[in-house]
Amino acid sequence: MLTAILLSGLAVGAVYALIGVTYNVMFSASRVMSFTAGQLGMLGGVLGAAFIGVLGLPAIAGFVLTLAACAAIGVLTEIIAVRPVLKSLEQHLYVLSTLALALMIQQFTAITWSTEPQPFPSLFGLQGGGVGDEKFWLPILACAAVVVGLEFLYRRTLIGRAFLAIAEDNFAARALGLPERNLRMASYALAGVIGGLAGFASGQLFLAFFANGAMLNFLGFVPVALGGLGNNRGAIIGGLALGIFQQSANFLFGGVFASVAVFSVFIIVLLLAPQGLFGAPAQRRV
Amino acid sequence: MLLDIRGIAAGYGKIAVLHGVDMKIGAGEVVSLLGPNGAGKTTLLRAMTGLLPLTGGSVHFGGQDMRDAGPRGSAQAGLVHVVEGHRVFTQLSVTDNLLLAAYDLPRRDRGQRIEEALAVFPEIAAKRNDRGGALSGGQQQMLAVAQGLVRRPRLLLLDEPSAGLSPVLVDRVLGVVSDLRAAGTAVLLVEQLIDKALAVSDRVYAMAQGRVVLEAKADEPELHQRLEQAYFGETSRA
Amino acid sequence: MGLLKQALPFVGIFAAALILPLVSNDYWTLIATRAAIYWVLVSALNLVVGFAGQLAIGWVAMLTLGAYTTSVLVAGNVMPPVNVFLALGAAALVGGVAGVIVGLPALRLRTFYFAMTTLGFATIVTQIALAWQDVTGGGIGLVGPVMPAPLDSIFGFYLFCLALAAFCTWITANVAHSRFGRSLVAIRDADVAAESAGISKPLLLGSVFLFAGAMAGIAGGLFATLQSYISPEAFTFDLSVLFFIAILIGGRGSILGPLIATIVLTWLPEFAAPLVAWSTFLYAVLLLVIVLAAPGGIAALLDFRSRRPIEADRSIVVHTDVLPEILAGRLSADPILLKGIVLSFGGVRAIDGLDLQVEPGQVHGLIGPNGSGKTTTLNVISGFYHPEAGSVTLGTAPLPMDAPQTRAASGIARTFQTPRIIGESTVLQNVMVGGAINGKGSFVESLLALPRHRHDEAMLRHDALLALRCVGLAGLAEVRADRLQHSELRFLEIARALMVRPRFLLLDEPAAGLSGDEIHSLGSLIRAISRQGTGVLLVEHHADLIFEICDQVTVLNLGRELAAGTPAEIRVHSEVVSAYLGS
Repeated sequence: MLTAILLSGLAVGAVYALIGVTYNVMFSASRVMSFTAGQLGMLGGVLGAAFIGVLGLPAIAGFVLTLAACAAIGVLTEIIAVRPVLKSLEQHLYVLSTLALALMIQQFTAITWSTEPQPFPSLFGLQGGGVGDEKFWLPILACAAVVVGLEFLYRRTLIGRAFLAIAEDNFAARALGLPERNLRMASYALAGVIGGLAGFASGQLFLAFFANGAMLNFLGFVPVALGGLGNNRGAIIGGLALGIFQQSANFLFGGVFASVAVFSVFIIVLLLAPQGLFGAPAQRRV
Repeated sequence: MLLDIRGIAAGYGKIAVLHGVDMKIGAGEVVSLLGPNGAGKTTLLRAMTGLLPLTGGSVHFGGQDMRDAGPRGSAQAGLVHVVEGHRVFTQLSVTDNLLLAAYDLPRRDRGQRIEEALAVFPEIAAKRNDRGGALSGGQQQMLAVAQGLVRRPRLLLLDEPSAGLSPVLVDRVLGVVSDLRAAGTAVLLVEQLIDKALAVSDRVYAMAQGRVVLEAKADEPELHQRLEQAYFGETSRA
Repeated sequence: MGLLKQALPFVGIFAAALILPLVSNDYWTLIATRAAIYWVLVSALNLVVGFAGQLAIGWVAMLTLGAYTTSVLVAGNVMPPVNVFLALGAAALVGGVAGVIVGLPALRLRTFYFAMTTLGFATIVTQIALAWQDVTGGGIGLVGPVMPAPLDSIFGFYLFCLALAAFCTWITANVAHSRFGRSLVAIRDADVAAESAGISKPLLLGSVFLFAGAMAGIAGGLFATLQSYISPEAFTFDLSVLFFIAILIGGRGSILGPLIATIVLTWLPEFAAPLVAWSTFLYAVLLLVIVLAAPGGIAALLDFRSRRPIEADRSIVVHTDVLPEILAGRLSADPILLKGIVLSFGGVRAIDGLDLQVEPGQVHGLIGPNGSGKTTTLNVISGFYHPEAGSVTLGTAPLPMDAPQTRAASGIARTFQTPRIIGESTVLQNVMVGGAINGKGSFVESLLALPRHRHDEAMLRHDALLALRCVGLAGLAEVRADRLQHSELRFLEIARALMVRPRFLLLDEPAAGLSGDEIHSLGSLIRAISRQGTGVLLVEHHADLIFEICDQVTVLNLGRELAAGTPAEIRVHSEVVSAYLGS
């Protein structure tokens, strides 16, 4: 029982954490929170199911195609919904433009794919719902892979350092002559890959369902709010903690209570610590 | 002329800050840009390197029209801007900060350029693996200047490099300007410390309210009185 | 008369709606009923989204709560059945309470966070409706309430909803044209200016969240009646999107625009069957287009007045003779006293032990190099920053920290380095915002346009016109503020500050970006204001202006007082000259 709670908690938590990282990667490059983060997760599941389950492609080909498509959606987000509103960031138009794009993605999926949850094919044949079920391990593995990958990117590569530089001080980075726009597009592509990976890895857990986007938008944002904007470590810890908390409440008291509890915790934390538990100080207003 | 600016106008939104600024800087020349707060010095530097769009006028650098170059194009052309407030990247190490300044350079040249820049500032070379945030304010300023040097600039724009530094460090940073002059690199220096700036400069421009109000050789007599008049205005003389 | 002209489109729309059942069939009447019910919700939500700019994307939750409250109470499956109108009242109560609960985080959270909160709340409400089977019937749902005769017929119910919709239009229009409506827009576009004008954000936002929640609750009850059977599936997020997008497509700060948009969006899917499935996609595309290409929405397209050219060659002529009338009766003998103020930002001391005394009736200049703490000092006095040590008092009465909204009541007004203006409002409306605390009527009185509301409006309008005449902008009163030149915005801010009838006026670089002539006008205006007994604290870079009009000058350097004295003393002070000249 405890193992089951812990395992499923870590599994769903890993997905929330990855969506949180997706938010963060986009935010770091542009100071924009995008509603497409959750949709990227949804697309990872739907596209994976479409490529492998429907079209019958080999799993590895389906995987690569899914990530490529999600990267493309990420870049598209930057071009359509982010770049045009960056000039007037303080008007928060990005909330509306990314919401519009997210809705378009969601509705397009609902109409062309299905409004019902569809199965996601097994990749390694490890099923049965027990401790060895791949549906629990794949998200955890994906999360671990992203943690290691990002660590490598930020510490060992020049482009990773450029990402960090832009996140810290966009103006200074531009003054230094860094290709800010290209780096921003690359960040959005990276966010697409991470979101797509989250969705692909959790395909068997959450199924290929168009409404997962909205669910992931919210539950993936909670760890960001807990951990502070742009703080990946906070998002990972927050996401895993959220997953375990949610699954415990779910097993012990039922789904409705779990939802209400998650929402209440979210509100309470936000009101007590608007900058997140690991957050940065507030900006000056005047 | 290395740099030839004509009739530059620029501002923030509706607020016009620069109202037609002309400026010329020759190769290897060190020029000080003086003026009270709000005169538009920083805005002028930003407009020159494309950090702020021009609303009028032109910038030519080395004979090339810089209108569409942007900050990246400017830096590539050798018009390198070290912005005010020693804004180095605090999360990255000293060498990584310099590596980013070398982003556009061929991979094989980067190491050498970084060593070149570090050679100018032994103080930070000793801390090359420390994070930018762990440096003192003066060291951060040196790092910021070093970032500019990585590009081997033809004209280096330094925006208040002495702000917030102790007198010893001010001399240290301005000493580098002298060295650059000796090496034939042109420098445009925005400074509040007039005498120290004049000591290392060939010429001086003074701005007030978005216009150039004075242009002179650095060693001209009565420069102080003329500056005072230019800033405080004739009318208020009691 | 402008009012009649403004009301004309609304009268036309509702007249057409009245005729509709006579010229079409029941099907279209039902569609029109739905549009009317949506409008009951949207018109009130408009104050939250369109006026206050709070991105409440999940407001369908209040509709759901209202629908279930009414249906459950009328069906009597938890307690004895209740009269349907009482049940609607209960729905309003539940919706209103939920509106406040969901809305209050908006006081602390930034836009995206708040949008997420409402989205999360909407998800939760649906999940509870699904799971609480004893009461809500779970996924199967329950029967909606039935209206008593004659409202139980299609036509009767339609007329009832239409009347309510018309009533909602009227009351929201009343609020929109009151100091509350202007204050909401000020919170949206210039929130620090709103706080400095004494507008209490919690109270005002709380009121509109309560109102919007209550109206959504009532709309929910009517919606359940119209549907005659409700289940969680009836309350999809798509519906929330419709409400939200109708307001943005209609245009922020407009009532006619969102009304038209609500009708069109309700009707659009009926236009062609294939559109039903694609309707939300279409709404989303529309939203994107609006955001990227036409941020003003339908209202901006209909705003012919703002396309009329205004005189290009304008100059500002101040009329200081009206100042006695504007500032009458708000004099102070007490100075503003700052003692030992210390304030740091991230380890850097912005102010380092500053004493300052600003006397009434004098112009006190505050100068110094960049980063010397001038604007920071002003922000401490106006309550935006909380110093780590020291005291700020008016005479002997301490001025509360972290409470900028209390300054207007103490008679302290200010302007900003970058003008904080509501670009979409007229110049007159911008100035009237400054007098928000002078109104006497309550929010409810404004809703119903009761006498005190009308009196407030007449008074604010009169005062604002006077203030505009004083600063020389009277000719531009009806022009949208974003069409003004930068220099005019500086004078506009002074006019807005004068509405407070300030005992002290804090000016943050008012001469920046002004021409020589304009600086001269500004100087004489400031002088004249101080001669009325108002103390002026002037932060400025233009040394000539400072030396010309100040009685006292304090020079700051590195957060401390470098020198203080009369302009003549400062002008020859060697340390000052060297701080300025840097040698």
